[in-house]
Amino acid sequence: MATKQLEGFMKYVFMMAALASILAVALICVFLFAGGIPAMIEIGLFDFLLGRQWTPVDTPPSFGILPMVMGSLYVTLGAIVVGVPIGVLTAVFMSHFCPPFLYKVLKPATQLLAGIPSVVYGFFGLVVLVPFVRDHMGLIFGGNGSSIFTASILLGIMILPTIIGVSEAAIRAVPSSYYEGAVALGASHERSVFFAVVPAAKSGILTSVILGIGRAIGETMAVIMVAGNQARMPTGLFRGGRTLTANIVMEMGYAADLHRAALIATGVILFVFILLINLAFTILRRRGRS
Amino acid sequence: MKRKHGSIALALALVVAIFAACGGGGSAGDGGFNTGREITVVSREDGSGTRGAFIELMGVQETTADGSTVDRTTVEANIANGTSIVMGSVAGDNYAIGYISLGSLNDTVKALNLDGAAATPGNVLSGDYTLARPFIIATSGAQSELAADFIGFIMSAEGQAVVGGRGYIPVEASAPAFSGSLPSGTIVIAGSTSVAPVIEQLSDAYREINSGASIEIHVQGTTAGITATIEGISDIAMSSRPLNDNELAALDPVTIAVDGLAVIVNNNNPTADITSEQVRDIFIGEITRWNEIG
Repeated sequence: MATKQLEGFMKYVFMMAALASILAVALICVFLFAGGIPAMIEIGLFDFLLGRQWTPVDTPPSFGILPMVMGSLYVTLGAIVVGVPIGVLTAVFMSHFCPPFLYKVLKPATQLLAGIPSVVYGFFGLVVLVPFVRDHMGLIFGGNGSSIFTASILLGIMILPTIIGVSEAAIRAVPSSYYEGAVALGASHERSVFFAVVPAAKSGILTSVILGIGRAIGETMAVIMVAGNQARMPTGLFRGGRTLTANIVMEMGYAADLHRAALIATGVILFVFILLINLAFTILRRRGRS
Repeated sequence: MKRKHGSIALALALVVAIFAACGGGGSAGDGGFNTGREITVVSREDGSGTRGAFIELMGVQETTADGSTVDRTTVEANIANGTSIVMGSVAGDNYAIGYISLGSLNDTVKALNLDGAAATPGNVLSGDYTLARPFIIATSGAQSELAADFIGFIMSAEGQAVVGGRGYIPVEASAPAFSGSLPSGTIVIAGSTSVAPVIEQLSDAYREINSGASIEIHVQGTTAGITATIEGISDIAMSSRPLNDNELAALDPVTIAVDGLAVIVNNNNPTADITSEQVRDIFIGEITRWNEIG
């Protein structure tokens, strides 16, 4: 009898635990939308989303976040261009080409990459990447090293563990009959892997890319330290830009009134971005199953 | 099998080559200063008291006849959200220029002489160095006994000595010795991140002589601190800029210290002197290369 009571009680304990995360999401939604929507209405939705001027302390102020939206998109795109080829090829190598002794080093190394705090990445970017880009690219392309290019490289490195881990699992999950069948038909090892196994793992690899995008778009600390943070439309790969996350973090400390509300509204836009990414992720996973 | 090991060796060699190239290139880039390179302008974020004071004093902010103000800081400026990040950026970039509180200056960067005057507390006090802003505390009319006593302490000889010890410039050269009533109680002080360090030291010194006092310091930025004080949430506001007319209607300001702003460049930069006009032109983007400064 006592066991049964305990079981009934524990059921509610587990349910409470499950509800805690839902409650957290709900509270974040309420806070964001309650703080952000009135600001968007006051500024004007089109002026807010499509405005190219972010001058919050001028009188009259302008709050256009298009530069930051574009900054986030460019930096994320750059991270994908840098991170996806390296990450997917690393996953292919680790699953089908890697000798065991090297795998024992490579696997922990990629996992370690995931555990490094983002502020450490940012510091690495500030003291290594920024001077490197300034001294080597700056003479040809201009700019001072703090640029969309630098941020893309840094974020490309940061999303590697996500892409490698998920892609490798997807490639390994392909039944070995695909590989064996291709080899039996006379294909070489390389041809079998790239034309039979990897296409079969397509949806898993796409999932890894989407998770990578999610990580890249939400990254803040590392980007602030290398991107230059100019609140204007991106003008070039080797010029700076500001992302949505950077905009919020940089100005929250001093913002008051409408400026503060506009930053919360920036958070709403970021939230919508993340929702879209999660939606794409869910759709892909469903399609992968069926 | 042989081919596989060969390709792995090739890949490893490639990686080593890349690292070697990076290492070699990095060391070659240091040293010489190329005056033809673009100036990296480093500014603070919008809303920062330091930025507000800088753009106003240097004429970067433009006020038109109808009362609207425009911050003309070049859009190409890198934005750093803190004094230490400005200093880090300037220390790491030969071609950078930025501005920080004189009290935070150290030898990782070089302060330029402005209009012929070195950035020293003495020159700020004498008025030769013009780029300086007041540190202000403000209270609403009905202040508590403890708040009044603490302000009395700040303006006394002991309090002003603490201010001077931080590298800021005291406003009362011959302040009287402190003779307050030392009431007990709690006060809340809110506002500027620039003023907070000196207020923290002042409150430590005050609590040594008045153990019954509890002083809470909320560091949230000038504007937020002023708003909190007008609303009565805090007793004293810390401001790193002069109050505007709306704020003056609700609060009484007291200048507790003067803080010079240093215009800083990299230690490798040969420039030593700069004029106010040149600083303004750099920050509004009309001067973009170091060789345009004589």
